[in-house]
Amino acid sequence: MIDDDFRRPDWKGWLLNRFVLVPLTLVVIALGWNAFVMTHNHGIVAGRVLDASGAPVEGADVQLWVFNFATFSVKASTTTKPDGTFQFDNNPSHNIQVSAEKPGVGRSARISVRLYFQSEDFYLKEPLRLTNGA
Amino acid sequence: MKRYPRWPIHLALLAVSFVMLVPFYWVLKTSVSGENIFSYPPSIIPQNPIPYYYVDVWYAIPFARFFFNSVVVSAMTVVANVVLNAMAGYALTRHFHGKTLVMMLFLSCMMIPFQATIIPAYLITAKLNLLDTYLGLALPMFSTIICIFVFKASFDAVPRSLIDAAKIDGLSEWKIIWKVMMPLAKSAMATNVILSFIWSWNNFMWPLISTRSPTMQTLPLGLARFLSYQEDTTGALYAFCIMVLAPGLLLFLLAQKEFVQGLTSGATKG
Repeated sequence: MIDDDFRRPDWKGWLLNRFVLVPLTLVVIALGWNAFVMTHNHGIVAGRVLDASGAPVEGADVQLWVFNFATFSVKASTTTKPDGTFQFDNNPSHNIQVSAEKPGVGRSARISVRLYFQSEDFYLKEPLRLTNGA
Repeated sequence: MKRYPRWPIHLALLAVSFVMLVPFYWVLKTSVSGENIFSYPPSIIPQNPIPYYYVDVWYAIPFARFFFNSVVVSAMTVVANVVLNAMAGYALTRHFHGKTLVMMLFLSCMMIPFQATIIPAYLITAKLNLLDTYLGLALPMFSTIICIFVFKASFDAVPRSLIDAAKIDGLSEWKIIWKVMMPLAKSAMATNVILSFIWSWNNFMWPLISTRSPTMQTLPLGLARFLSYQEDTTGALYAFCIMVLAPGLLLFLLAQKEFVQGLTSGATKG
């Protein structure tokens, strides 16, 4: 056969080279990242609210601010439980701010939170502290 | 023969490399720091680098869709360039009546800028009902004269006796191209792949004219759209540039050896 005169490259030569392995690695990384995103995008934003003395604040009004084109606007509100914790379940954004306020106790600074993807589940490491001067 | 020290050459090359790489480093640095380009004193090392500008870009425009469009158009362009340019390059290595005229035509066509042919290109694409389609986006880039000559130079370097032997063995011209010439012209192929990919990937003018729906736009159009959306774009703009540049850079780094070989093959003949 004439075709046999020209040796066919074996499959290893075609598959195990940098032109295949590098894109394949990138595809695997992308798939892994997407799998991570799909399992961590419930839109949960949770944290705690404390007063100036460090005690949990019940019934504080917590607001979720979402970046909207050029400014932040309030997307949702909730109140804290007896242990001072709160949770939002519907954060749609990746660029948010969280603030808390309770008449007679004080208000917190607005905390900016940047997320790696939209609706990423996030738990505030530092509690929101209500102070009169904030 | 006296051997001169090499260190001055290496020093000069290092200095030139530094000058050429600084802008890339600056774009990368600003994409993670968001530092204003006019801030003084400028920081060489990014202060508190963050990846969030990349996230902003991803969600500010339909980046994934634009990226997909660019990949599809570039892939079609690359495949068409390799196939069509190889065929044209092989034809130019053969002797036929009017070959000189064809070569002259090719060389003279290289002097006509694409902007001068946009209206006929648009009308032809419209007649073919290919406006706002992937094929229509890729069609004008399907073959480039420079790349034809890259293949021609590479095929010219193949000994004539090898082609004659293949003919005696009964191979058709088609099989000679794909089974004899192409395996010997990997550098030219890599050069074609890189050049056609980068030209297609960075193409702004033709997609701007030939696309109508936002979903068919490519990344360079997305960059223009992004700039019109955002005001404070320092970090995000540079992040966008990195995201657009990355595939081309990766392709070049993967095939740089073959690319350089392809550009220099035929240069030392004679």
